[in-house]
Amino acid sequence: MIKYLLKRIFWMVPLLVGISLVSFLIMHLAPGDITTTEASFNPKASEESRQKLREIYNLDKPVIVQYGLWLKRMATLDFGTSFATHQRPVFWQTIDAQGNVSKGMIQDALPITLLINVVSLALIIATALPLGIVSALTQNRVPDRAITMFVFIGFAIPGFWLALMLMYWTGVVHDWLPISGLHSLGYENMSWFAKISDTLRHIFLPVFISSLGGLAGISLFVRNGMLDVLHQDYITTARAKGLPENTVIYGHALRNALLPLITILGLSIPGLIGGSVIAESIFAIPGMGKLFYDAVLMRDFPVIMGILTIGSALTLIGNLLADVAYAWADPRVRRGIAQ
Amino acid sequence: MPAATFSRCFSGRYITAGIFTLLLLASCSKAPATNAVNFDSPYPPESGGTLIDAMTGEPSGLIAMLAGESAASAIAANIFNSLLKYDKNLELQGELAQSWDVSADQQTITFHLKPGMKWADDTPLTSADVLFTWRLVTDDKTRTPYSADYKLVVRAETPDALTFRVSYRQPYAPALDTWASLHILPQHLLQGQDINTTAFARRPVGSHYYKLQDWRNGERISLVRNPYATQGPARINRLVSRFIPDNAAQFLELLADNIDVMNLDPIKYARIFPARPDLNKKIALYKELGNNYTYLGFNLKHKPFDDIRVRQAINYAIDKQELIDGVLLGLGVPVASPYKPGTRWSNPNLHPYPYDPQKALALLKQAGFEDHDGDGILDRDGKPLAFEMVTNQNKQREMSAVLIQRRLKEIGIDSKIRILEWASFVGRYIKTGDFDVVVLGWSLSLDPDQYGIWHSSQQAPGQFNFIGYSNPHVDKLLEQGRLELNPEKRMKIYHEFAQILLKDSPVVYLYAGYGLPAIHKRVKGIDNPAPPAGIGHNSYEWYIPQPLRRNEISVQ
Repeated sequence: MIKYLLKRIFWMVPLLVGISLVSFLIMHLAPGDITTTEASFNPKASEESRQKLREIYNLDKPVIVQYGLWLKRMATLDFGTSFATHQRPVFWQTIDAQGNVSKGMIQDALPITLLINVVSLALIIATALPLGIVSALTQNRVPDRAITMFVFIGFAIPGFWLALMLMYWTGVVHDWLPISGLHSLGYENMSWFAKISDTLRHIFLPVFISSLGGLAGISLFVRNGMLDVLHQDYITTARAKGLPENTVIYGHALRNALLPLITILGLSIPGLIGGSVIAESIFAIPGMGKLFYDAVLMRDFPVIMGILTIGSALTLIGNLLADVAYAWADPRVRRGIAQ
Repeated sequence: MPAATFSRCFSGRYITAGIFTLLLLASCSKAPATNAVNFDSPYPPESGGTLIDAMTGEPSGLIAMLAGESAASAIAANIFNSLLKYDKNLELQGELAQSWDVSADQQTITFHLKPGMKWADDTPLTSADVLFTWRLVTDDKTRTPYSADYKLVVRAETPDALTFRVSYRQPYAPALDTWASLHILPQHLLQGQDINTTAFARRPVGSHYYKLQDWRNGERISLVRNPYATQGPARINRLVSRFIPDNAAQFLELLADNIDVMNLDPIKYARIFPARPDLNKKIALYKELGNNYTYLGFNLKHKPFDDIRVRQAINYAIDKQELIDGVLLGLGVPVASPYKPGTRWSNPNLHPYPYDPQKALALLKQAGFEDHDGDGILDRDGKPLAFEMVTNQNKQREMSAVLIQRRLKEIGIDSKIRILEWASFVGRYIKTGDFDVVVLGWSLSLDPDQYGIWHSSQQAPGQFNFIGYSNPHVDKLLEQGRLELNPEKRMKIYHEFAQILLKDSPVVYLYAGYGLPAIHKRVKGIDNPAPPAGIGHNSYEWYIPQPLRRNEISVQ
């Protein structure tokens, strides 16, 4: 097992380098760089000074040389500074000689996105599990049909549209919830309790919208997993030997039905740091999705690469965790690895 | 997992933008408590209060010479002064300078600063700061794209604390404009720092009406009145700019009374507001001519656009009023020169090409284009008159291209439309010069000098005469215009330039759109109708009467 783990971790390094190289090349396939943004399309900005900027940012060098420079910095875990936003550090804060703290861009955006996604994911699982179980137990009867219809409507409804409708309903027609943003204007002067409730009020709609869309996938997954298991012979056996129905379902069926969910959760780890551009734009939430999108539009290469690197590292770690968790939960898998 | 489904759900937002509009039109919202207050009653000016506006983007920093985006200039303009400024009629006026002299040979400009000025941190602002700023902007290590104009200065000196003098090798008329756009930075705070990385960009100290109070990354910037403001005190105490990227969300915030100012699009201005009298009770709409125009530009190096008759024909074939009505819902004006109508530089005797398809056909016939093979498309020497119009992802330009395509089709010109994301558009088409026709915009510049856009020497890749316009007479006028500092004489030069440009038709001027600010009626003192400089020209005189302020209302 340990050997297997070490092997997996060892192979992650070349994999990461490979992913970063491909990302870097694809990023440079798109025409243009930071000096060709719409704001720089200005006759007052001379071509000479733009060329000077290109040299400063090493954008005049061959792509592979640029990649080498980037990799060299990454070897010391230096994510560099953004081209577009006045040299803000991409990942984590730096402190200059005067003691001024310059906060990292990912450092700012990540907690916000994580908060919304973790809360959504928790909400999705908390809701999807019971829905899926009820669905499976009442297969093809009214509750099952109703639940399936409900989660599909949630899945199919365009999130941005529902978001705008709810913003209008809860924010303009009624004064129930804030419309957009993350904090109210007087946030700085609030008590800690008011601060928490203010933040919760602000993320209520984004979390609701995001959960509604994610409900269908997991609840149907649970439903189908349960149905598969319920038709297995050992369930028949359990029932035949006279176990109470609750024990059959929660003790025997559910535990087996949840195994595939581990894979899904493992795969959702990288998703936790990725925000939705459109949701974040509508709700004016400065999260990872908007950060990445703006960086792509501005051709802000250090930021793009920073987010991609962290994203791919998390994907690999998520896969590994899912496999490990699987082995921990399922003896059959454990035996497979040992062989 | 949630992220993936989240973004999937959000795709295709534009389809339902229409439905959203319909709902806003139809719905009859519960009357908010604020409707009890009559916002139309007059109030005497008083100071204090908070004005909240919304911007779609966050500034990258507040040193304007480093940050090119409009969000940065909008906020920095409240914090920093320049030597000169444009008044409400877009004429140059002193700002930090109380006057300026131009030497007899027109090569030296002497600025006389107002005495007793201070930075927001109570230190004196002198000519040394101006010199320091000039050195910064011309320093090769400074990462600014705007240094070229300032590098033309061969000598800059400060004979005393209130005098700043610059000399040019030859007269350079746009110089005055360049001193109206360079924000003067404090030497005592920036000396010895690396301007490219300094923390000052995110916590600036300036000399204008406001100073930075607080910047919450990704959320908002708050400015508060600067007690040492060189131009006297502003009335509104606090300016908050919230970053709300989505226009619909901004609009909801405006409806819910959470922001006071936003820029509307024509749909909201001309369709939603007229249908909602309840909104008109609390929100006032304004109209100001924007600072740019949209044009259709020909690649003059490609056949058949080297032929003036073809260019003029296409100009006659495009119905500009139709574009204004269709794309801007009537909220725009046609232009006949690259200068803002109503200002000195705009030649009042010029008129856009009228819509005249018969004339277009006649011109094309002269140029040899006729439908010889009867397929409905004009052709010459067996080659059909067909081309591709490229533009970037910009709703108004896309819609314009579609309307133009139809009009051209009617007279037998076959055009296709291609739409690209900005950087790809510039990299693939503009830089390489590999295009037939573009739909793009240029700014209606405040200084009339447009050497960079129209002079025949400015055609290298990355330069801005990418359409390849070359007319020796125009070249000469553009050169003369740069040498003449006397506004009256300069005006004549540019009037002639605009006239030739219109006749040559290297571009078809399509329209200049209005900016459409909506401002809550609690804000008083706004100049309406807007002068050429726009609604914001006297924002320091705006005021919010005590009874109408946000907190006071919510208390009632």
